[in-house]
Amino acid sequence: MSAGWRTLLLRIGDRCPEYGGSADHKEHIETCYGMLSREYEHSRDAIFEFLLECAEQLPHKIPFFGVLIGLLNLENEDFVKDIVDTTQAKLQDALYNENCDRIRILLRFLSGLMCSKVVAPNSIIETFETLLSSAATILDEETGNPSWQPRADFYVYCILASLPWGGPELFEQVPDELERVLVGIQSYLSIRRHFDDIAFSVFETDEGHSPNKKDFMEDLWERIQILSRSGWKVKSVPKPHLSFEAQLVAGNSHRLSPISCPPPNLPQTSSEILKGQEKHEADLKYPQRLRRLHIFPTNKAENMQPVDRFVVEECILDVLLFFNGCRKECAFYLVSLPVSFRYEYLMAETIFSQLLLLPNPPFRPIYYTLVIIDLCKALPGAFPSVVVGAVHALFERISNMDTECRTRLILWFSHHLSNFQFIWPWQEWSYVKDLPKWAPQRVFVQEVLEREIRLSYFEKIKQSIEDAAELEELLPPKAGPNFKFVGNESSETTDGHKLSKELVGMIRGKKTVRDIILWVEEHMIPTNGAEFALDVVSQTLLDIGSKSFTHLITVLERYGQIISKLCPNEEMQLLLMDEVSAYWKNSTQMTAISIDRMMGYRMISNLAIVKWVFSPANVEQFHVSDRPWEILRNAVSKTYNRISDLRKEIQSLKKGLQVAKEVCAKAIKELEEAKSVLEIVEGQPTPAERPGRLRRLQVYADKAKHEEVTTEESLEAKGALLSRALEESKAVLKLLFKRFVDVLTERLPPVSADGEIPNLRTGDQNVNSEARDLETATMEIDSENGADKNSEPNGQNTKNSYNVGELEQWCLCTLGYLKSFSRQYATEIWSHIAMLDDEVFVGDIHPLIRKAAFSGLCRFTNEGPQL
Amino acid sequence: MASLFKVRIPETLIPLAPPVSLPPPCSCGFPCFLQDPSKLSAYRDRRFPGTQEEYEAALQASTTVYIGNMSFYTTEEQAYELFSRAGEIKKIIMGLDKNSKTPCGFCFVLYYSREDAEDAVKYISGTMLDDRPIRVDFDWGFEEGRQWGRGRSGGQVRDEYRTDYDPGRGGYGKMVQKELEAQRELVDYGGSFQPNAPPPYERGERKRGYGDRNDRGDYQRKRNRNDDRAAAEGSRRAPDSDPADKNPRFREKGDSDEEDDDYDKRRRR
Repeated sequence: MSAGWRTLLLRIGDRCPEYGGSADHKEHIETCYGMLSREYEHSRDAIFEFLLECAEQLPHKIPFFGVLIGLLNLENEDFVKDIVDTTQAKLQDALYNENCDRIRILLRFLSGLMCSKVVAPNSIIETFETLLSSAATILDEETGNPSWQPRADFYVYCILASLPWGGPELFEQVPDELERVLVGIQSYLSIRRHFDDIAFSVFETDEGHSPNKKDFMEDLWERIQILSRSGWKVKSVPKPHLSFEAQLVAGNSHRLSPISCPPPNLPQTSSEILKGQEKHEADLKYPQRLRRLHIFPTNKAENMQPVDRFVVEECILDVLLFFNGCRKECAFYLVSLPVSFRYEYLMAETIFSQLLLLPNPPFRPIYYTLVIIDLCKALPGAFPSVVVGAVHALFERISNMDTECRTRLILWFSHHLSNFQFIWPWQEWSYVKDLPKWAPQRVFVQEVLEREIRLSYFEKIKQSIEDAAELEELLPPKAGPNFKFVGNESSETTDGHKLSKELVGMIRGKKTVRDIILWVEEHMIPTNGAEFALDVVSQTLLDIGSKSFTHLITVLERYGQIISKLCPNEEMQLLLMDEVSAYWKNSTQMTAISIDRMMGYRMISNLAIVKWVFSPANVEQFHVSDRPWEILRNAVSKTYNRISDLRKEIQSLKKGLQVAKEVCAKAIKELEEAKSVLEIVEGQPTPAERPGRLRRLQVYADKAKHEEVTTEESLEAKGALLSRALEESKAVLKLLFKRFVDVLTERLPPVSADGEIPNLRTGDQNVNSEARDLETATMEIDSENGADKNSEPNGQNTKNSYNVGELEQWCLCTLGYLKSFSRQYATEIWSHIAMLDDEVFVGDIHPLIRKAAFSGLCRFTNEGPQL
Repeated sequence: MASLFKVRIPETLIPLAPPVSLPPPCSCGFPCFLQDPSKLSAYRDRRFPGTQEEYEAALQASTTVYIGNMSFYTTEEQAYELFSRAGEIKKIIMGLDKNSKTPCGFCFVLYYSREDAEDAVKYISGTMLDDRPIRVDFDWGFEEGRQWGRGRSGGQVRDEYRTDYDPGRGGYGKMVQKELEAQRELVDYGGSFQPNAPPPYERGERKRGYGDRNDRGDYQRKRNRNDDRAAAEGSRRAPDSDPADKNPRFREKGDSDEEDDDYDKRRRR
């Protein structure tokens, strides 16, 4: 066998050529161990490093590495003691650096080492107890800080998460101590606060709490309890150590030096706002890894033990984490986890739950698009149909899906189909064209088609739905400009046409921007007014730049000043956006790109964009199109991208300044030293250095000083830009929330006199299933309900009708976006929350508005978590 | 494991991609172990004015990506839609045929941030754009002049010697086309004389990939796209010209319109 020891380590447990295609784990370990012991003399240090790296980054193979280290322990006790000590030190570091993945994986690794008699079981128990007592301290009002419950939860979660690997061995070796830990966890769970993740749930219900009754801690605890009751049998974790038990018992277990946890961050004040900010910070540091999404009915998905589901999910998430950017390896490991049962449905649910994870998935959504594409190719017989099933199941419930998740699903689905020739059984969804235009399923189909066309072209997508020609009416208009001043003989007589033609002539004639501005000011504004001038200039320039994205930015770079001159204030900028929207009325993409670029060239302010999006014509579209929302999302994200770019630049300038200062100090010191060396010439002290060297040193010192000064200056300039950007973003936040509050207050049905909050979903049969059952039962008597009459005969009324009224849907949709913006920008909002409380969330705010805005922030109001 | 992926990689790219094997681990920290270093250096641009080290340093820091194996018909807006999913785009520069000034199957996308460029390389390379598997690589940075194809005939070098028929990239490779043209001319001289027939294979036509008159199914598709152009500026089209000669997404910069050339020059200065 020619494979090197590194390859053997990497490939252990895989059915692969390096191991002669064998799947026998015992054989793998023997082969690999044989190689390692041969190489040990030459490559002791390299093996040491590489083993640790493998354990941390191929964590689903930890049981195999554990046995290898156990076998090495028989011959090379010091080597293995080093491994144990290093692992302990790494864990200690990770606890202080708050590196969640590392803490979790190192605990699993230690458990794996314990199974192979490398680490003493009591050491594991001690580690658990340290974590547990730290968690309990955090929750204590007196000695800790309950705002940091996310950290406490995380510690206990890590203990529980390692038990599928170490639990069976602990139960066998130290049952009483294990029991003590479990009792401790039980009591921790009884004092912690239940986490209601309504704001992070992919599907919402109208009862105001998330559909998952148990939070992630309670859920895992239940799985582990079931495991302990069933005698710690975990099917999904390989147990290679059992085959080597006879050898491994001879090994000497090492003790782990005790670890310590960072002390709890004590609260500074008791103000509600500071507590909220702290909790938000803690949530960011200790994010929840997975919010399980149940997509498939239980009879369809694989039937497995609760703990096995957890283990497979962990392995999938680890592969996604460590093989990000390695497509082939990622797909390979996802489809070949070392378990003996099938898990395609579970894998699809896990990947979709990452794609839709709120507030943000660990990686960009496009990563999961790629993974799903690759899995469809790796498992062509199984995975595509699972994906199709998932899409159908999610589509069924789309009206209850979180707004942000809907957008992600639309982007994913259109992109996914673009990788598979746009083939989809559209006829199954053709019924949506009979739904009202605000029905979420209809909007979903319409937006998917829009995005497909953007990735491809109109005719192609039209052809792709030819089996469901009814859906053609959902296609957007064919993209193309809509130029007001098209030059043809009949209409060329209007002033606009003439002036537009003249402007084109000036541009062709290479007149300078200054000349054109003069011309506009002298020939257009006096006779026709500024608004007319803007109309002609913007339409004409947009037309010149209409051929492509590059043409657009070229025109804006060269002639944008003319427009800027015409749009010195927000009112004119609003008109400019009307012009863009009219010119590109047939292309949502070009409208969005044009406005985005104009903001980039600072021809339009972000405040103007927010105002424009909330202007009546756009507000009317909120529930039927993504068009205004796309523009709003772009503007807000550009605002924050600017800030984060500036922060990065300042960070690197600061580093640069540090370096420049050091260089400068060194150069000056060298110069001074050279100058100070004197010798006595003719009774006078004169510099001993050659004048040439002194001059050179002087030049260096001057240069270094200059460098330092310029860096300092640009740092100052960037600092000023940053504070301006921060002010801008504060103003944008305020305006954004104010506008949300205004438009919603105008339209939301009022709270009834007895304080009952209106239920916007009363018409939605999917949600109010009890209500629907009642209705069906009373059909005979109460038959004037038109909708029911139409759809009842085929028994598919839930599918073919949508009974939420237009106004209610508008409110649901706008509230959904409000929640989504406040969740997305929670960090920024928390830093301005006092201002928002004073200026936006004042007075008689409708409880549904408050609920949407605050649940996105995870903020508890005085009215309790329900609001 | 190589058979795990059935992504069609164009044959000219194969020598550039390293064989599938796990690279030796690097020591640069937690999650980048096992990452494919070839991502940085699979292709060496021979026109780069510097040493190999400088080249690699430029790639490490660059926010520009190169996109290859595109269809000649793919528009900037299609690329924008796809690549904006990896981050905010600053600029797109279409690669153009030196002679015809029309897209010749590659482009540069400039991002604002390095991470976005990395994500584009990681997540978009090897996926489909306009029904073609595209490749995405780090690029050392756009400079004036790099938008032109470097092949003898004006397009990309890879389209010079290609022998397969690729309707998205102008049919056969340039050399094969020349060969075919020579053969056809022989046939034409021997055939009957048709005074008013348009010359069968005019320059522009061939460059746009319609040297082969076989209706390969794809022909129909191009025709559809021509229709929208026809609607937009029907009056400019000669009624008897080959409809395939005018492709809406294709002519953007090939327009003889002086203004456009001027735009391009100014922009890139």
